[in-house]
Amino acid sequence: MFELILQALYSGLLVGGVYALIALGLALTFGTMRVINLAHGELVLLAAYMAYVVESRLQLNPVFAVPLAVLVACTCSALVYLLVDRIRKNRELNSLMLTFAIGIIITNAVLLIFSGDVRSTGSPFMQDAVQLGPLFSMKSELGAFVVSLVLVLALWQWLSRSWYGRAVRAVSSNRDAAKLMGINPAKTELISFIVAGALAACAGVALYSSSVVHPPLGHALTVKAFIITVLAGVGSVPGVLAAALLLGVTEAMTVTLWSSALQELVGMTLFLVVLLVLPNGLFGSAKRRG
Amino acid sequence: MTPFRIMAATLAVAATLGSTGTACAEEFTVGVQIPLTGAMARSGTGMAEGIQTAVELFNKGNARHKIKLITVDDESNPAKAVAAVEKLTSQGVVALVGGFGSNIIGPASDAANKQNLVYMTAGGVDNGLTQRGYKTFFRINNTQGYERAVTQLFEEQGVKSVSIVHSTKEATADLAKDMQKALAPKGIKVVLHPFDPAITDFKPIINKIKLQDKPEVILMSAYENDYVGIIRAAKVLKPEIKAMVGVWSLATSKMWKDFPDLMPNITGTSLLPSPVDYKQPEGKLFAETYKKLFNKDVDYLAQFGYVKAQLLFEAIARAADNGSLKKGGLADELRKTNKETLIGRVQFDVNGDNLNFRHRMGQHQDGKIVIVSPKAEATGPIVWPGLPW
Repeated sequence: MFELILQALYSGLLVGGVYALIALGLALTFGTMRVINLAHGELVLLAAYMAYVVESRLQLNPVFAVPLAVLVACTCSALVYLLVDRIRKNRELNSLMLTFAIGIIITNAVLLIFSGDVRSTGSPFMQDAVQLGPLFSMKSELGAFVVSLVLVLALWQWLSRSWYGRAVRAVSSNRDAAKLMGINPAKTELISFIVAGALAACAGVALYSSSVVHPPLGHALTVKAFIITVLAGVGSVPGVLAAALLLGVTEAMTVTLWSSALQELVGMTLFLVVLLVLPNGLFGSAKRRG
Repeated sequence: MTPFRIMAATLAVAATLGSTGTACAEEFTVGVQIPLTGAMARSGTGMAEGIQTAVELFNKGNARHKIKLITVDDESNPAKAVAAVEKLTSQGVVALVGGFGSNIIGPASDAANKQNLVYMTAGGVDNGLTQRGYKTFFRINNTQGYERAVTQLFEEQGVKSVSIVHSTKEATADLAKDMQKALAPKGIKVVLHPFDPAITDFKPIINKIKLQDKPEVILMSAYENDYVGIIRAAKVLKPEIKAMVGVWSLATSKMWKDFPDLMPNITGTSLLPSPVDYKQPEGKLFAETYKKLFNKDVDYLAQFGYVKAQLLFEAIARAADNGSLKKGGLADELRKTNKETLIGRVQFDVNGDNLNFRHRMGQHQDGKIVIVSPKAEATGPIVWPGLPW
């Protein structure tokens, strides 16, 4: 039993790492603009398909797809922002409908171009087993986990140390006050969307390397990312990692101790319980400034 | 083939019919409600291609009757499938063919039954579909056919214990439970491991199987994306088993092409060996026509699509000839079906289920699918024990 639980914890942490990677971009745009980008999962999906293109057409390891995936996902993310920016009334609600529609368009574009087949890396290197004592995983899962930690740390540092990062936080806190400080809110928001696109690109390549992708997956990814963002508390980057790991471990333990059929149910129950007890999420500030 | 190409091919077939149809040929419009987008797009597209091939061959071989298709994409969505059926009904179709996924076919065939319209499918094996007592519902495959094929394989190999990893979707869960019922009386120990269709990491399940169940065989009742995750998890954890066996969509040339590292020695239900080698002239004609229309080799989806459409079109022609088509006689004509087809003999019971449906088991061996069970129909010996690692 001990061995089972240990492996479940390990698997849960690795899955949580990928969840964090998927949720980071959404958390950034939600935190800065209060815009829930419902096309975020589809951006991750698009990046995953770029990894597929690079692997299948150029016969390269999917890792080499990162530059192309970043280019495509950032461009799409910037376009999403430019469309959202045109909304003049009731932006929080209307952006939901707009980004949901963009998600549908991306999903169907992927379906038309790549067909409905299931795709995943064929690289034996990525799928090779790594054994750490009694714990097993694929190299790609371990790699995705490490990348996730690095990106969380990098994003956290960028937001807290760099000028643009501070500008993003300033716009998030009080758009008018940020303007008075010489910050261009539109430019800042565009930057946060581009960074979110880059994060989605890394998530997509990691997903393709460690799991399977197919066109309808985007919506499920958005939902998972949204749950983690809300669980973490809006605006908390370390919170995203903590929430993602908590969700991953909870799901894996549910499979091990009860039934895998209950995995999603227990994840959603955790989400609801946390929101009931901590309405601002695990790491959200009690009061919103501005 | 993409949904766009499907539409283009439909138009091409329609245009061909327009130019070659004889003046005296009576034309019947058949509605196709099928998923060309959404989660079931791949399966729906494959079936749709088979249906179009059936139209091509039927129209070529029938001077007095012509079939015209109207295809509506149900987007893998039950509500849209109902809307598609209603739309097709309003366009005056004489019958419906298509559907994929029991949860979609259920409400769609409900809507068809309300209109007293025949609904023919090969994409829904849920037992409940034929327990509704509908006179208008027909299907050529069912859970029992898959169950019999897997059970026979296990008997032939003397399997004593099985862990069944199954999705909680209707058809896969039904099959898993039926398998458990069928295997238990034969003294085979069965443990079920249901999983939510949304999960992607199967290591915790496989680890439970490895450390607690310790079975001889892992049986997967799931879909393509699940198979990849399950086999990958097994490859990492390497449980001490003799084989990994699955049902639909696993023993296909497509799976070998896309996942050559995961497929060696994996066994799944398969009516066809690969490369496809039809013995009967009808099969050869079907494969040639399909290749001409879609520039690829046939697979099981296309074959199911072809057979169900072929049976429906022939029944429409018979009903038209005896004057019962416009009086609701199509269902009665279908019920009289007793024909040797590419999937074996088809006869429908009172509930529209195919009485004779029985699958075979195929094994991935060096890029080919070898039929390994039943032994009498095997095209090669089975590799047992046989695993991808």
